[in-house]
Amino acid sequence: EELLVEEV
Amino acid sequence: MVQSAVRVFDSSAPWKLSGQVSLRDEAFGALAYHHGTRRLVFLKSRELVALVRNLEEFESADEAIDAVVVPAQHQRYVEALSSLFSSEILSGR
Repeated sequence: EELLVEEV
Repeated sequence: MVQSAVRVFDSSAPWKLSGQVSLRDEAFGALAYHHGTRRLVFLKSRELVALVRNLEEFESADEAIDAVVVPAQHQRYVEALSSLFSSEILSGR
């Protein structure tokens, strides 16, 4: 289960 | 005495996509760009994108989540919305 949200 | 202003995401409350955020659909899900903070956030599932777009139609985030994912995925999506709240992608209403 990978992250649903990533931010840059 | 020190008071800390801790921002906590309440999934039983009503939420909406911030008016300062633009969403762009992508093959992996969507990009969210906040025009105020200049943060760029990757929403990495179609279900999450549908959830965020329809959030305003429900009385709580919990109800909105239940409309798009199975119960076993509920907590995972609460955590995703909590992350979006921390990034100011979501706002209360």
